[in-house]
Amino acid sequence: MSATRRMLEITLGDMLWGRRAVFMAIAAGVPVLLAVVLRVAFASGSATVVVNGSRLNTETMFGTAITLLYLRFIVPALGVYYGTSMIADEVEDKTITYLFVRPMRRGAIVLGKYLAYLVCVLAAVLPSAALVFFIMVPFANMGPLVDTFVRDLEQLAVGIAAYGSLFVLAGVTFKRPLVGGLIFVFGWEPIASALPGYVGQLTVAHYLQTGTAGMLGLVLASAAAVLLAMRTIEHREYVLEQ
Amino acid sequence: MIIATERLSKWYGQVSGLNDVTVSVPEGITGLLGPNGAGKSTFMKLVTGQLRPSTGTVRVFGEPIWGNPAQYHKLGFCPEQDAFYDHMTGREWLEALAELHGMNADRAHAAATRALEAVDLLDAGDRKIGGYSKGMRQRVKLAQAIAHDPALLILDEPLSGMDPLMRRRTIRLIKEWARAGKTVVVSSHILHEIEAMTSNILLMHNGRIVAEGDVHQIRALIDEHPHRVWIRAQDPHAVARLLLGGDDVSSVKFAEEGVIVETAKPDAFYTRLTALAASGEAGAIEEVTSPDDNLQAVFSYLVKQ
Repeated sequence: MSATRRMLEITLGDMLWGRRAVFMAIAAGVPVLLAVVLRVAFASGSATVVVNGSRLNTETMFGTAITLLYLRFIVPALGVYYGTSMIADEVEDKTITYLFVRPMRRGAIVLGKYLAYLVCVLAAVLPSAALVFFIMVPFANMGPLVDTFVRDLEQLAVGIAAYGSLFVLAGVTFKRPLVGGLIFVFGWEPIASALPGYVGQLTVAHYLQTGTAGMLGLVLASAAAVLLAMRTIEHREYVLEQ
Repeated sequence: MIIATERLSKWYGQVSGLNDVTVSVPEGITGLLGPNGAGKSTFMKLVTGQLRPSTGTVRVFGEPIWGNPAQYHKLGFCPEQDAFYDHMTGREWLEALAELHGMNADRAHAAATRALEAVDLLDAGDRKIGGYSKGMRQRVKLAQAIAHDPALLILDEPLSGMDPLMRRRTIRLIKEWARAGKTVVVSSHILHEIEAMTSNILLMHNGRIVAEGDVHQIRALIDEHPHRVWIRAQDPHAVARLLLGGDDVSSVKFAEEGVIVETAKPDAFYTRLTALAASGEAGAIEEVTSPDDNLQAVFSYLVKQ
């Protein structure tokens, strides 16, 4: 466990540095900025959003932001970006050598990195969503929406765990997993979700929207994916290009 | 025997990296000598358990190394590639890696300090690795290999990119480690470097061990072939002028940020170059490398025999 903890600490430092931190700050900050702009525009009466003849209020727009902005875009994008790069970047940068010649199971590297991803992304996305809620929803209207808001946060947390685990598995299995990951989240998921029948069940998004049972299933599937990734890295050989 | 391989081969798809190598490495220093592409790095990656043998076996301290992480308590590896976590300081990096050996924070700090001191980097330990020179990066790479005080050190081209003084110091360090009871396997494509550390060598060519034993037996061969050395220096003209004064230098050519010197007496030449670097007479000598075409010529000769 100490090797996992140390890997977690090393990875946290890595994630909070350079382009990775910038990407995280943009992903978490842009929705907050949008919320501020919308709130100001709505408050001044200079903007209205009309759907099917009805004016949308900021509460409804918060729900839309959670679904379209966070669940369909930010959470999958962060999952692909960090999940696929956890091991692939170490291999590409050739720093994996330093980790592989330490007296610890290689699985501890994957677990430590996955936990670091969870800590960082949860710490960035959940407060961002909370800020968006507090900015967009007027204080007087918050009471009845608190339950929905908590449910939204649960969905986000499970989504972060699920996409991360799926792509960390892809990262240890394939040589260049980023392109495949992007095709999956921005190609396959929207298309499959729109198709009739059972095809939609082959997406993460489907289970995020099917209540407690679906989310519990995702949590279990995430744990299984991480375990499989840990097993894969134990047996896989990484040939570093000279 | 510290390392023993039996009919060890490694294939990268259709390409052979190592071919049917049966060899035993005893205690002390063993030099792994061969031109680029000879299979030295593949051999070292197999011996350090980073690659799985395609066929054959490799045993370190009598046990298999692949999938046996406990072995890494006794093994330190300095890879050839210039790869680092550039945002970390040298000390942070060493401490993090030492903690992966199960040390607590205090022990890791002490181990990092010892290792930094050993490679003469204590003053630069708190600077980011991204700001290190090539020679400093080589040294911090050596430091991570020795920080946990392993019994076996595998060093892949450890002198590459170092200036003459640091080379001399590192060679002395490697010999000290061997005297302290450690086994060291060190690779190079420069005979002179290996010869300065040990007389026990393994000669590799095209993925095979073509000769093993005493370095002096091939010494005469290498001397028959001119030895080329590229020197990057602050003032290449001064270096050229001073080096041309000796009978150990056959020719000097100017090339990107430095000079290429051809010598038929590498021993005398390197001794003079080190003295020149120490005196500072020709300004700073920043890097010395030797292309391996002279060694390639020797191998071609050996293979034809």
